[in-house]
Amino acid sequence: MPTYKLKYFKNRGLAEPSRLVFAAAGVEYEDIRFDREQWQSEKESSSEKYPFGQMPVLEVDGEVISESKAIARYLANEFGLAGKTNLDKAKVDMVVDALQDIAKGLVEMLFGKDEAQKAEAKEKCLTKTIPTIFSALEKMLTSNNGGDGFFVGDSLTLADLAFIAHTDYHVDQLKEAATLSAFPKLTALRERVLEQPNIKKWIEARPKTEL
Amino acid sequence: MPKYKLIYFDIKGRAEPIRMGFALAGQEFEDVRIKKEQWPELKPKMPHQALPVLEIEGGVVLSQSFAIGRYIANEFGFAGKTNLEKAQADMFCDALNDLTPKLTELFHASDEKKAEVRKELFEKLLPAAFTNMERLFSKNKDGTGFLVGDGITWADIMFYNFADGMEQIEPDVLKNFPKLQGLLERVRNNPKIKEYIKNRK
Repeated sequence: MPTYKLKYFKNRGLAEPSRLVFAAAGVEYEDIRFDREQWQSEKESSSEKYPFGQMPVLEVDGEVISESKAIARYLANEFGLAGKTNLDKAKVDMVVDALQDIAKGLVEMLFGKDEAQKAEAKEKCLTKTIPTIFSALEKMLTSNNGGDGFFVGDSLTLADLAFIAHTDYHVDQLKEAATLSAFPKLTALRERVLEQPNIKKWIEARPKTEL
Repeated sequence: MPKYKLIYFDIKGRAEPIRMGFALAGQEFEDVRIKKEQWPELKPKMPHQALPVLEIEGGVVLSQSFAIGRYIANEFGFAGKTNLEKAQADMFCDALNDLTPKLTELFHASDEKKAEVRKELFEKLLPAAFTNMERLFSKNKDGTGFLVGDGITWADIMFYNFADGMEQIEPDVLKNFPKLQGLLERVRNNPKIKEYIKNRK
């Protein structure tokens, strides 16, 4: 088995889908987390380990990959959690990409340039982006064996894990907006995946962070 | 009846790398281009209310341009050979895609803001991204071939479309990046791609 090192900030953020893949697969890795100062000095002293000057990065036996989705997909492929056929893999990608579209809106809502822009982004997220995308995902899930299994095929894939990582924010900070609870199959999927022993174990053990 | 139907607007945008991918694969497809006026009616019928979508014989509809691009690349053998190569290809494509919000900002910026955004893009963000890419590319056969492995992959097609688009705005954008310039030429001169470019709408 290769040695894996995943490096990121002290957050769930963009690294959490990959951490969930490791957890689901039961594969050990070094979960390295830097605070802002450590990151600054890392960036300067070891720039060759950060291909695009960003985190997360994955080190696999000396090879370095960056870009969070590329990392998650690579790990999912390595551990058989990517989907079985090219078509299934494409469906997994669709889910992951769609969730990222919501995440972009949420980032603008939280970290926008000024209060006006943040308020506008929040409005757009809550009334348009999230309902549209969650609607589409609810439909996609339901069309797969009635929606009582997984997003793609008949077993857990990166699509389900990315969904868990993404909806942490919805069930905590967006609870009152009921963004997720409006969608019964999606809500049930989250509960179902969280009950899987490996996932449950990770969720209980992982550092508790706001984002 | 073609097995594939690609639906997008009548522009290059996010569909062009996919169209080019089909050309590289020598695979026929229905290249449906809708008019802007048709979009409001069509939008609610699309899985994620967005384009492009790829309809595959049998009833499957894929959306998300990267999911489609990667699917075609995997189906027709230009995704990279190993999981690692595929991840490296993904890495390059995602890194370029990270710049898209800024490009969108430039496109929509008011006249006063345009100069500022353009400066940020062409004096800071693009040089930084290209510097990283030139360095990474040089690790693969000294940057004399393709971005990943030893053959053309969809990462090269994505790069080509991105850089070509940037050159339309700023012809000198790759001035300091000889290896990337070489890559651009190499992709442009791939026989199937050359033919596609010659004949495209």
